[in-house]
Amino acid sequence: MAIKDILTPFTAWKKVFNEPVTIKDPFNDRPGAERYRGFHKNELQTCIGCGSCEEICENEAIDLVAVKGYETKNGDSGLRPMVDYGRCCWCALCVDVCTTGSLTLSNEYTWVAENPDEFRFVPGAENKAWDKNELGWKKPVPNYEFYGQKRVKMEELSPEERDHSFIEIIKGYSKEQAQLEADRCVECGICIATCPANMGIPEYIKAIREDDMEHGLKILYETNPLPEICGRICTHKCETVCSVGHRGEPLSIRWLKRYIADQVESAEYKRILGTDGIENNGKTVAIIGSGPAGLSAAHYLSLMGYKVTIYEQYAKAGGMMRYGIPEYRLPYDQIDKDINYILSLGVNIKYNTKIGKDISLAELRDKYDAVFAGTGLHLGRSTRIPGTDHEHVYQAIDLLNKITEGKEIHVAEKIVVIGGGNVAMDITRSLARLQNQKYGKVQIIATALESEENLPADVEEVIEAREEKAIINPGWGPQYIEIENGKIKGLHVNKCLSIFDEEGRFNPKFDENNKNFFEADMIVESIGQGMDIAYITEDIKSELEFGPRGRIVVDENFQSGAKWLFVGGDIIQGPDVIHGIANGHKAAYGIDNFLKNK
Amino acid sequence: MENIIKDIQNRFEVSDIVNQRDNITFVTCEKEKTIALITHMKKNLGFKHFVLMTAVDWIEDGLFQLTYILNNPKKKLDVAIRTFISRENATMETAHKLWKQVSTYQRELKEMFGIDFPGSPRVNESFILEGWNDIPPYRRDFQTKEYAEKTYFPRPGRKTNDPSEYMKKNMS
Amino acid sequence: MKKQKNIFNWQADRSKYPEKKKNGKLDIDMSSGKFVKLWQGPNHPGITGNMSLELTISGDEVVEAKTHVGYLHRGFEKLMERRLWIQCFPTCVRMCVAEPDYNEYLLAKSAEELSGIEIPEMAEWLRTLVLEMARLQSLLRTVPGQAGTLSLGVGVQWGVYLRDLVLDLFEELTGGRVYHMYIIPGGVRGLLPDGFKKRMEEVLKKIDEFVKNIENLMFNNIVFKKRTIGVGYIKPSWIDKYGIVGPNARAAGFKRDVRKDYPYLKYNELDFEVTSEKDSDIFARSMVRKKELIMTIDLIRQIMAKMPKKGDIKAPTPNVLHWKIPKGETYVRSESSRGEYGFYTVSDGSKTPRRINLRGPSYTHAISLLERMLVNANIADVHSIMVSLQTCPPEIER
Ligand code: SF4
Ligand code: SF4
Ligand code: SF4
Repeated sequence: MAIKDILTPFTAWKKVFNEPVTIKDPFNDRPGAERYRGFHKNELQTCIGCGSCEEICENEAIDLVAVKGYETKNGDSGLRPMVDYGRCCWCALCVDVCTTGSLTLSNEYTWVAENPDEFRFVPGAENKAWDKNELGWKKPVPNYEFYGQKRVKMEELSPEERDHSFIEIIKGYSKEQAQLEADRCVECGICIATCPANMGIPEYIKAIREDDMEHGLKILYETNPLPEICGRICTHKCETVCSVGHRGEPLSIRWLKRYIADQVESAEYKRILGTDGIENNGKTVAIIGSGPAGLSAAHYLSLMGYKVTIYEQYAKAGGMMRYGIPEYRLPYDQIDKDINYILSLGVNIKYNTKIGKDISLAELRDKYDAVFAGTGLHLGRSTRIPGTDHEHVYQAIDLLNKITEGKEIHVAEKIVVIGGGNVAMDITRSLARLQNQKYGKVQIIATALESEENLPADVEEVIEAREEKAIINPGWGPQYIEIENGKIKGLHVNKCLSIFDEEGRFNPKFDENNKNFFEADMIVESIGQGMDIAYITEDIKSELEFGPRGRIVVDENFQSGAKWLFVGGDIIQGPDVIHGIANGHKAAYGIDNFLKNK
Repeated sequence: MENIIKDIQNRFEVSDIVNQRDNITFVTCEKEKTIALITHMKKNLGFKHFVLMTAVDWIEDGLFQLTYILNNPKKKLDVAIRTFISRENATMETAHKLWKQVSTYQRELKEMFGIDFPGSPRVNESFILEGWNDIPPYRRDFQTKEYAEKTYFPRPGRKTNDPSEYMKKNMS
Repeated sequence: MKKQKNIFNWQADRSKYPEKKKNGKLDIDMSSGKFVKLWQGPNHPGITGNMSLELTISGDEVVEAKTHVGYLHRGFEKLMERRLWIQCFPTCVRMCVAEPDYNEYLLAKSAEELSGIEIPEMAEWLRTLVLEMARLQSLLRTVPGQAGTLSLGVGVQWGVYLRDLVLDLFEELTGGRVYHMYIIPGGVRGLLPDGFKKRMEEVLKKIDEFVKNIENLMFNNIVFKKRTIGVGYIKPSWIDKYGIVGPNARAAGFKRDVRKDYPYLKYNELDFEVTSEKDSDIFARSMVRKKELIMTIDLIRQIMAKMPKKGDIKAPTPNVLHWKIPKGETYVRSESSRGEYGFYTVSDGSKTPRRINLRGPSYTHAISLLERMLVNANIADVHSIMVSLQTCPPEIER
């Protein structure tokens, strides 16, 4: 035992005069650090109410509630997260997962209130003292993600592999790719409302993750009887609102749908969907047109036991899907796969039968319990500029139609296409292929009133057309077609300044000083299509009501003024396949209701 | 490691051998041979350090998996021994004679999973859950959430909405 | 340090009681009036958490001890079975308040190992740093805490202040002071903030100073020596018999340290010697912890010097909202300030763990070992013996 051991401990006394280290005013002297995880903040304008924060919260501290001033709209549920601080553990997982990045935590950690219910509020909606705090936890950047931000790339044929033929460009996902892509979905369901058919998107995406194709197919058919078709050419409005798209790339919803349909053999459909032996209810429905609306109505009516007969003016079923969309986007065997299944439900189809010519609408009315008309837009519209009456000025829709039928069409060496929509791209790319086959090179220009940014066609369509060496030169207004010695020389255009006037009417303005000339010996017009409803005779017309631009007025069940007549598809809404499908589906229920109560 | 596994494979017919990492291997042993295997490993193979033992409830198969992890501190190797016992009247031979702390593990397993270890000291004394009269709570069929809901008071007035349902309601 | 012998020291069985029965068992008959039951706890003694010791005493000597736990049971292992893997991350930290980071690391590591995910180099360094910082703050409580059990509170106050400075650093780096929630499956949640190194060094300098001060205050203090040398002796033969790990084993001459024996993270790139002592009493264990504190300071300096400037902090993982981990099981361990701390994790291939079982050092230290060590101890030494084992009840009952 050393004397040292008795004395040294007393050295601690030296510290007696040290400055105390206590924080004197903890409320003000000690703000939380830059990353501190304190009370939540939420930018309510940015938040879309996807509920991912609620989903990840392990303490069930978050509820999604309606907040004044935030309406439900496309891509925004209108709900906002409310946090219960009786449960929150300040883990900030909700911040890290937030799809829009609206949610953060502040560095505030002191707050006193007497009423415990005050500790449950919607961050961002209550003007809390910390709402303006710069400091506090934010999602770490970069490369810190809770789910994939990048799409799994879809493999497609290279321009060289595809520009001579009409084989399908998109290869489709492999199982691995589809599962990876499906993994990115946060299952929020925001997309459902934007899909015209309200498809159960998160659920079929889940089926892909779980590799349960049968369940996936069932979900698809609940709302959409044309999955192979939609999986290829749907306008995929859902993808524009996908939550994941706010910080990354939206889910490839369309390709995932296609993946499911591609995995199941046609022979399996009836077993999986349980549609063998549907009982007939003895009632009959006639459907005019075998486009998406007609087929969809036929499908759901058949499931309900109706005996359905479709009248189709062409030799094959599918309407615009077959006669408008080129094969490289939508191969015929895939159309057949979807359609044959619907026909297998007992749907009768009469080809080459045009209503108003081969059989009248009145006859259908008398013969059937109800009629559904989904006759689509088949009349090409003309710009009516001088020269359009020349024999080598064509309507895109007519040419596409002939290509499908396998008929020879005129393909000139130099072609100009007027129009910037998807149909214009379809004909441009189809003609480019034919030019390649015939001349070994492409000389085609597509021009449109709209500027590059406002082109109505899908971006991919424009990109791919350019890859196939077509020239897309938008922003020009066609003036007249120059014809010399009976031969087309080309198209004169002026720069387009604006398309609509102040009142929003179609009234394009051109710059007279900025002219251009596109050389061509063939011109194709593709500025939109109109409907042909000449089959509706005057007596029936008198029962109907017509809205702006001659559209037939229907109620929410697509029932027209003539109670037995239901109308849907492009002539009512759209134009696109998915609206047609949705219309047909709703009309089927409308018809069912109507006939049950009759 | 290879030799050790070979040795116990020959003597005790262990199966389902998984080399999880270079220095840890999982094996399955029959219930009757397990304690003998553990004794052998401790006495003859240098697995002197008892890391842990615990149970996993495979309710769908009607089985409890007991896992014993043993460590050889000299060779720095671990072997984890699994053995499967029936969930019905679950009992297992006690290993408390091998290491002092084993009786604590067994006491906990009795309480939390309802697995009996006859002869293990104080095995029937409650360990953590004094006064518990529900089923052993670590069994899979004990529902924590249900229990919490009936035992505690949920905060009144909480209500949430599913985004897609809510949108369907408001947008159609 | 030579072992000192004198009259205050522990001797084997000073009392006449209990006598042995004919069958060899102790004859503890409470109605005889020779014994008294004394409860220590379960109120929170400040360092170790709520736990109680049921002591049977005769005179001032403990003749039988039983550890009672259950005051902190929240069933975390079970709760995790009902949560997504990512949701286990904020839950698991609560299994040890003193060093929550080991739980984060082990959960993340198990999930990564079972799904075959490799994390970026930068994340490995940051994890190593955080684990050492956790040890640092823990030791800042425990080292002077041992003296605290002998009513020497000054060191505890110094330690608590310095620990708070370390917690400030934690707050800067992780956003939290006690539950850091930083080591997430796949990586970590942030790079070092600007100027962190400098502030770290400032704190480390203060701790250097503290080490010197407690040297004078504790280790060269006659009272501390008298009350700890020769007290709370652990026989070397008990080490494996009772599953003793960490500083408690190292103080008995067993140079076992997971960081050296089963190197994980960046430990094989760091230069350190496993600490040890021979005497295996409270004093020796305190010495080991003090050396460990010095070593941790050094390790943090090494880590700060070797750490890359930037890099990715997280590997891509499947979408955490439906992350399924392939069927399998594993055991991963780390060296916490109390010794081997491990997770046995079983996945059945679903979105939630099948079973996560924590192997905490206190499970053996505070129960079988402590119950044995307290027999024949003087009641005045009970709490110092308990604290010298650095027991932590939350990890016993989880
Ligand atoms: S995750 Fe983000 S965007 Fe979605 S509801 Fe929560 S705060 Fe809003
Ligand atoms: S911080 Fe954690 S506990 Fe709190 S609301 Fe967010 S996810 Fe839930
Ligand atoms: S696809 Fe996008 S919007 Fe739809 S549920 Fe998934 S993440 Fe949400």
